[in-house]
Amino acid sequence: MNKNGSLADGFLDSATYYPQHNAVFVDNTFIRYDELYETAARIAATIQQYTPDPEPRLTAVFAYRSVTAFSGVLGSLLAGNGYVPLNRTFPIERTRMMLERSECRSVVVDMPSIAQIDQVIVGIPYRLLLVFPDTEDISQLRDKWPQHMVIARADLACSGRWTHTQPNRNDIAYLLFTSGSTGIPKGVMVGHRNVIPFVTYMADRYGITDNDRLSQMFDMTFDLSVFDMFVTWEKGACVCCPSQKTLMKPGKFINDLQLTVWFSVPSTVVFMKRFKMLKRGSYPSLRWSLFCGEPLPVGSVQEWEKAAPNSIIENLYGPTELTIACTLYRWNRKESIDVSEMGIVPIGDPYPDMKAIIVDEHLREVAEGTSGELLMTGPQMTLGYWKEPARTSQAFIVPAGKSDPYYRTGDRVRRAGPDKPLIYLGRVDFQVKIHGHRVELGEIEAVIREESGLDGVVALGWPETESGAAGVQVFIEGEYDSIETLRQKVARRLPDCMVPSRFHLMDKLPLNTNGKYDRKRLIAILKELS
Amino acid sequence: MSGVSAADVKKFIVSHLSKELESSGRMLNGDPPDDFDLLQEGIIDSLGMFNLTAELEEHFGQEIDFEGLDPEEMTIIGPLCRYVERTLRQ
Repeated sequence: MNKNGSLADGFLDSATYYPQHNAVFVDNTFIRYDELYETAARIAATIQQYTPDPEPRLTAVFAYRSVTAFSGVLGSLLAGNGYVPLNRTFPIERTRMMLERSECRSVVVDMPSIAQIDQVIVGIPYRLLLVFPDTEDISQLRDKWPQHMVIARADLACSGRWTHTQPNRNDIAYLLFTSGSTGIPKGVMVGHRNVIPFVTYMADRYGITDNDRLSQMFDMTFDLSVFDMFVTWEKGACVCCPSQKTLMKPGKFINDLQLTVWFSVPSTVVFMKRFKMLKRGSYPSLRWSLFCGEPLPVGSVQEWEKAAPNSIIENLYGPTELTIACTLYRWNRKESIDVSEMGIVPIGDPYPDMKAIIVDEHLREVAEGTSGELLMTGPQMTLGYWKEPARTSQAFIVPAGKSDPYYRTGDRVRRAGPDKPLIYLGRVDFQVKIHGHRVELGEIEAVIREESGLDGVVALGWPETESGAAGVQVFIEGEYDSIETLRQKVARRLPDCMVPSRFHLMDKLPLNTNGKYDRKRLIAILKELS
Repeated sequence: MSGVSAADVKKFIVSHLSKELESSGRMLNGDPPDDFDLLQEGIIDSLGMFNLTAELEEHFGQEIDFEGLDPEEMTIIGPLCRYVERTLRQ
């Protein structure tokens, strides 16, 4: 792949070499490369026709596990735009905020998401191009939104009118919103130049061929989905996307589709174990099993390797800001248990072109064997946060004695020796992983402060689990009339995994010796209550 | 051997999920029909299902073996409640 090219180049090559091969399985149907190309090129031509030279060069894709989700992502890229994934299983208010903040001039929408579109585009002051590639009748929407350009399936431009546009070096391939501690999600700008080295390395490392079938367990609002789609399309393989219903029976999906590459959060393993889907030898077709998104418990790997005996297991690690994953560790039955700490599999070593250093709180490199914050740099280090230079300069810094900027992961790690893998020890700040989703407790607190008008708010990941927390509970200082009303207001603004399961009111929140809210004491209270 | 009936299980599930749903301003009909699919109605996902099974065990004070529960029927209220009833009786 051309390193100055587009994330979509691998797909275009495969569509040329393997037009008759399946590119995607979605909605219980296989879609061939030539078919997917045709729809994507029509969407791209439509975007180019109605929004020539948009500013910013971004298209939102409001679609969920549908053909349009895939053709929309490709169509945006072929039009020369980065894509911004939106998800109808998120609260509408959050989706609306993402669209507003991204300032996209075009939105591709699948049929089931139409139900939310009115609430998502309300208040957008500029003209939008709304493309509905799988919908025939949109006259109602056209009547309702005369200020926007509304395009139905039949109005899509011909694929022949698509003009191949190569992105510039720093153009955004996708803009992904992650939880932010101020109550406003941050948009991570991932450039083509960041993601292309990732896709190339992964496709080569795993020896992907046009015979492979990869899972798509991740929603497109989770950046790990970029691996699923683009590593697949790089080599003419097929990405297999289970429906929401099928997500409940991943084991059957692996066998029905004869998947060869599996990629999920470790929580899925826990779920499958619970429902007895990890019997010995259940998944012989898998040749690779990859996990990422949260700490990987040793116990889960041991269960998985029995169920998928022909697969090699790797643990991947990386924040969105370093493009999907940037370190990895290969599980080895003989040695790995000894190098794992606290029952968690190591995160291994940086990808070949990435550099890692471990620093103390003054950003000075620590001695070998000492724990500290992980800082990384290299081609996968992203362009920073969308329209937030202050936040960007806080997170992307030049450490003393270095000339390149590094990204501060906020993750605490240790390397026991020069030949030893990196061990993940937890978050430096108050971020927790809740079933694989990165959650800033500060964001939850900020929303509750705004909605309640009360200042003393502390959110905690609770109950704690091996890999983070199972949910959130919150302590509020003062009095509030209706917790139920507060809960509803909060739930309208935050995704389910961030909505506290319990609200505890206290006259006074305990303080520690530094005069800060004493989180340890609050955790102790939760322990007493449970 | 427990005297828990499928109706008891349903009552608990409905009351548990109602509380969860209230937080997002939604409602669960007090007596959903047998073929009511919690997943397709957007009430539960795999994480929610996982949590629900833990709540069921805690509430009925007994470990529940989900081995025999058909994943197709896992989120459909009638089969789910009858499965839990049968398992608790074993």
